[in-house]
Amino acid sequence: MRQENMRRLISVASLVILALVFGFTSNGFFTATNILSILRECGITGIIAIGVSFVIITAGIDLSTGAAVGFVSMLCANLLYNYALPAGLIMLISILAGTVCGVLNGFIVTKLRVPEFIATLSTQYLFRSMVFVFAIREMGVITNKKITDPGILIMGGSINGIYLVTITFLVLAVIGQIILKKTKLGTYIYATGANRKSADLSGINTDKVRWTVFIITGFLCGIASIFEIGRIGSATTDLGTGLEFEVIAAVVIGGCAFSGGRGDIFGTTVGAIFMAVLQNGILKYNLPTAAQLIIKGVVIVIMIIFDSVYNQYMQKKIHEKANEEANEGVQTAGGEA
Amino acid sequence: MKKKIVSLFLVGAMAATMLMGCGGVKTDSEAAAGDSGEETAEAAEGKNAYSDEIKIGFLPNVIGDSCAAAWAEGMEGYLSNFSNVTFNVFDGKASVDTENTIMEQMINEKYDAIILQATDAAGLAASTDKAEAAGIPVITCNLDADTTHTGLVAGVDVEAGQQIAEHIGETLGGTGKVVIISATPGATKGENIDKGFKAVMEEKYSGIEILDEQSGEWLTENANTVMNDFLTKYPEIDAVLCHNDAMAEGAAEAAKAAGREMQIWGVDGESKMLDYIEQGLCTGTVYTDCQRQGAACAQFAMYAVGSGITAKNLSATPIVKMAPIVVTQENLSEITEDMRW
Repeated sequence: MRQENMRRLISVASLVILALVFGFTSNGFFTATNILSILRECGITGIIAIGVSFVIITAGIDLSTGAAVGFVSMLCANLLYNYALPAGLIMLISILAGTVCGVLNGFIVTKLRVPEFIATLSTQYLFRSMVFVFAIREMGVITNKKITDPGILIMGGSINGIYLVTITFLVLAVIGQIILKKTKLGTYIYATGANRKSADLSGINTDKVRWTVFIITGFLCGIASIFEIGRIGSATTDLGTGLEFEVIAAVVIGGCAFSGGRGDIFGTTVGAIFMAVLQNGILKYNLPTAAQLIIKGVVIVIMIIFDSVYNQYMQKKIHEKANEEANEGVQTAGGEA
Repeated sequence: MKKKIVSLFLVGAMAATMLMGCGGVKTDSEAAAGDSGEETAEAAEGKNAYSDEIKIGFLPNVIGDSCAAAWAEGMEGYLSNFSNVTFNVFDGKASVDTENTIMEQMINEKYDAIILQATDAAGLAASTDKAEAAGIPVITCNLDADTTHTGLVAGVDVEAGQQIAEHIGETLGGTGKVVIISATPGATKGENIDKGFKAVMEEKYSGIEILDEQSGEWLTENANTVMNDFLTKYPEIDAVLCHNDAMAEGAAEAAKAAGREMQIWGVDGESKMLDYIEQGLCTGTVYTDCQRQGAACAQFAMYAVGSGITAKNLSATPIVKMAPIVVTQENLSEITEDMRW
């Protein structure tokens, strides 16, 4: 079996085992409503994780996604409250604002040569501060207002129980996988992450690739924001706080390596569902908060350690196989001589 | 290549838009109302409070503060009288997202009543609607949800701000300088305390100047830092309003370290604050009997479960108000040991 397929199988098996553990040890886990609810919960994380997977495959990181969602959501809520713009226009603005966040990240990273970690940590603060700039105020005091536009609220809705955010996530995941596996950009993303210098030498404009993946992430943050405000029916100043870590955890659990060049959107989708199952299952135990956090942390750490050990093992096997082939080549060459 | 990528994503966006446009899309509360036809009817009849299995969940903003602990204690104290009631406490982690997720889970698990301290009034309105539509009464505790629901047991916030403003205004004789250490921006309780305080100041004590207002994010250590900054910036401060007791304690420590004297006010009435008042480090607080408030929430929830009342029977949210008690050194002894939390 190819290494890639083996890794996918392991991801899916981990998810199934986790679901079975919760299914047999808690009440009401394997009900249709709960499963649809899990798929809803992973929607927003999953949509952003598609973009962040691209970034991580290029060996980058994006810590600003949660704040970008907070900023875009607040901007939309503000425009809805103060100007009563139509829902379609709000959605367009949301996607544009998210994309602008991505453009800015890409610019700082590729043009100003700031490392991704520092650049996106800084923009995280910048976007979070924009949340307060656009927050709705009454008598100088921040006041969160209910969104009443049905065109926006419907985005938090469902068709026959399946939430729109789930459908959109799955559609975007398929598109993301096609981009990674079937387009030139996908090849360039892998090449940039696997070895940027070699990619540069082979004529790939790696700066352009890195900028593009940040723009895609921003674009997806814009889409996620629409679903966020649609579901909550408001935008609050803490919206999206900590979301970036959920997203990164989903991406890494799904098999994308921080070192770059490895992973895909299939894995990320499994990772996003894994995170939602974990959250949902833990809540069913009614454990104290500390215990919940410990379980969540331990499971994530185990998954990441496993990924690292598995990666090292596979690398070793590849090297062994390469050495064997090289030795066979030498022997054959010797025999012929 | 760019065109291909953009078109792929646009196809996705269009597909999603078409799905929305083709009707059959229901919002959360519409779906919940549709799904719970039978349950709603059953809920309307109510359950037997002594014999039926009843499950009640409490979802506070955060579980780690003394207020939430006192509420939970009050609820548990009352509900422990009913052997048929299961009571679970969750942690909202001061996050609208988390609270919405837990609300959804409680709805899926068919809880009989939910007691909610809404991190954000507007942000929890949709899930409150969904719960009510599914026949689950929602009782909010202190921090309300911005929609009609079964009930609210309100502590004091606007009134607390008003009463502190009255005390400061009177004791300073209508002139002086005040600073405010506020809650996390956007927090409803903080906003309401501010509203009450500023309205009285503007209306009655225009000679009192509010020098500055910075967020201490509900935390003692942050308030201490903010207060240190105020003390270096302003040579004259007559009074400090903090949106909770924890921050007032931090401000008091900063003022004590700087050797400066001024009035320091908090809101809540937790036991540590009462000690600070006793020692003269803080001036006063607006006390709420949180255990009693918790018990009132639980009683309200049991009443709703027993009667089958939900939002569909109501035109506005019924409110139970807790009494605001201004505590200073003068009346500290009125808050007896058993009332402290």
